[in-house]
Amino acid sequence: MNRLVILLLTAVAAVLVAVLPMLVGPYYIRVLQIFFFSAGLGVAWNILGGYAGYWSFGHTVSIGIGAFTAAWLGMIFGAGSGPWSMVLPVIAGALLSGLFALVIAYPLLRLRGTYFAIAMLGVSQVVAELVNNVSIFQGGIGVFLPSPVPSGMPVERFYYYIFAVVLSLLLLISWWVKRSRFGYALLAIREDEDTAMMLGVPTERYKMAAFVLSAVMVGLLGAIYGYSLGYFTTYSVFRLDWSLNMIVFCLIGGIGTLMGPVIGAALILFLTQVLLGGFLDLHLMITGALVVAVILIMPGGILRTRWRLPGRKPARGGAE
Amino acid sequence: MTLFLQTTLNGLMLGGIYALAAVGFSLIFGVIGIVNLTHGVFVIAGAYLALLFYTELGLDPLLSMLPVGALLFAVGWVYQRTIIDWAISRASVEASLVVTFGMAMILRNLLQLWFGPDVQTITPFYSFFSISLGPFRVDMVRLVALGSSMVLLLGLTLLLARTHFGRAMRAVAQQPLAAALSGLNVKRIHAMTFGVSAALAGASGAIIGIVQPFSAASEVAWTLNAFMVVVLGGVGSPAGALVGGLLLGLINSYTAQYFGPALTQAAMFLVLVLMLLLRPTGLLGNPYGESR
Repeated sequence: MNRLVILLLTAVAAVLVAVLPMLVGPYYIRVLQIFFFSAGLGVAWNILGGYAGYWSFGHTVSIGIGAFTAAWLGMIFGAGSGPWSMVLPVIAGALLSGLFALVIAYPLLRLRGTYFAIAMLGVSQVVAELVNNVSIFQGGIGVFLPSPVPSGMPVERFYYYIFAVVLSLLLLISWWVKRSRFGYALLAIREDEDTAMMLGVPTERYKMAAFVLSAVMVGLLGAIYGYSLGYFTTYSVFRLDWSLNMIVFCLIGGIGTLMGPVIGAALILFLTQVLLGGFLDLHLMITGALVVAVILIMPGGILRTRWRLPGRKPARGGAE
Repeated sequence: MTLFLQTTLNGLMLGGIYALAAVGFSLIFGVIGIVNLTHGVFVIAGAYLALLFYTELGLDPLLSMLPVGALLFAVGWVYQRTIIDWAISRASVEASLVVTFGMAMILRNLLQLWFGPDVQTITPFYSFFSISLGPFRVDMVRLVALGSSMVLLLGLTLLLARTHFGRAMRAVAQQPLAAALSGLNVKRIHAMTFGVSAALAGASGAIIGIVQPFSAASEVAWTLNAFMVVVLGGVGSPAGALVGGLLLGLINSYTAQYFGPALTQAAMFLVLVLMLLLRPTGLLGNPYGESR
């Protein structure tokens, strides 16, 4: 695809996103809002897991830290109302989750592969239990955030636009990372970390940067999500299934691609929320089956598969 | 002091069960190099099968370990021959992590649909007995559970050390290519390993059913426990699983006693993360050498 087509597509998508709330009902606006949020999570996870190849199974820790930081700030300093009142707490939430990532990055990033994945899972569990059980954190009884929605505007529409803007921002960052020197270094780390280090890539520093950047992005989403909930307890934001969903979105769409997480999230949410919204007890199975099928049929995800017309000879090697 | 010793005793008994539930996971990790995230489902499936045998046929859970183990052996064999083998040959060993994760979601959902989401227990007649040893009290079920775990672990040790099949398994773990060149059917050994692992998981499930309440959702906890046991003890050997299991049991019961039961998960994971950082090969090291 050349640049013009991409630009045109982006413009169409932007117009579509802008006018869509006028055309569909509140339920679908909410589904789309969850879609933007989920796709954002996938895009953020992809920076560390897709580009650098460090799969985290505990990224939900950043959602939790982001959301709780915003709420704590509101409780300490007294939160105003109106949309601008959420700016500072949300930024603080993103920064604190980045800071937390910076602290744990040094020891954890020495682990590789499955061990890093499971250690992150451990970290997210430990933090969740501490937030839940240490009383000053108030995770057990729950925290409140005042509604920043301007009067006269439907709630779901407000968060729809906010999440849409945030998702575009995250995509922009991801796009920039991917085509920068930093991004190429991350790819080198993913392909062969030892060789990259030998060739002079500062692997340690770049891995940390990717980790922190990813955590800041998730923290940002988490803080806004906290606002959209209004009241939440530990386990409404430290959710194991989100940690896993982020990975699933990327896997299905194509790990390490720019738009893969967005496509994966769209597919999963369409299947679970729209098509099979009434079969709540089957969601787990559908997601699982989709994951297994994608890995077995197109191991690179949708975007990595070389699509070809039936009847044509496969290009060498076929699907990667 | 009595409290401390009683806590230690409880922890060790719990640990014996952890060890048995984890040893199959450890075996697959050591021999095939796969992190089998379906392991917890095998454990819980064993518990449900034992429950079925108990309620429908009146078969004691300890006796039902045999048919449950046999059934799960078949399941494990077929599972490796189909899904796992496809995943490894079409994608990669890393992709198998994701495939087992996806399968775990499917199977957990199926268990939920068949058996309902409620928490279940198996209560044979000896459920409510306990023995007094001086100042200590020991629950009969836990003692029985620990005893059966030890027997099964010992059996596996002998299998690995003394039989032709055990030697073949160790050879495949060390050097699949060399093992194949020496005339071993590596695919068959892999399938057998999966079968044995699933059988042990199922047997441990039957025991867990009488000791602890379980539901389909608790499969996640058992997979994670298995992973922790392997990280603590080391990959691929019954001895490593035993050491790791006992340690995990002790951590669990000390935390529950002295810091509150709500923090056990956090403590277990804290030890896990520290262990990964300080001694990634586990306490007993990796007996299968440098292959991974």
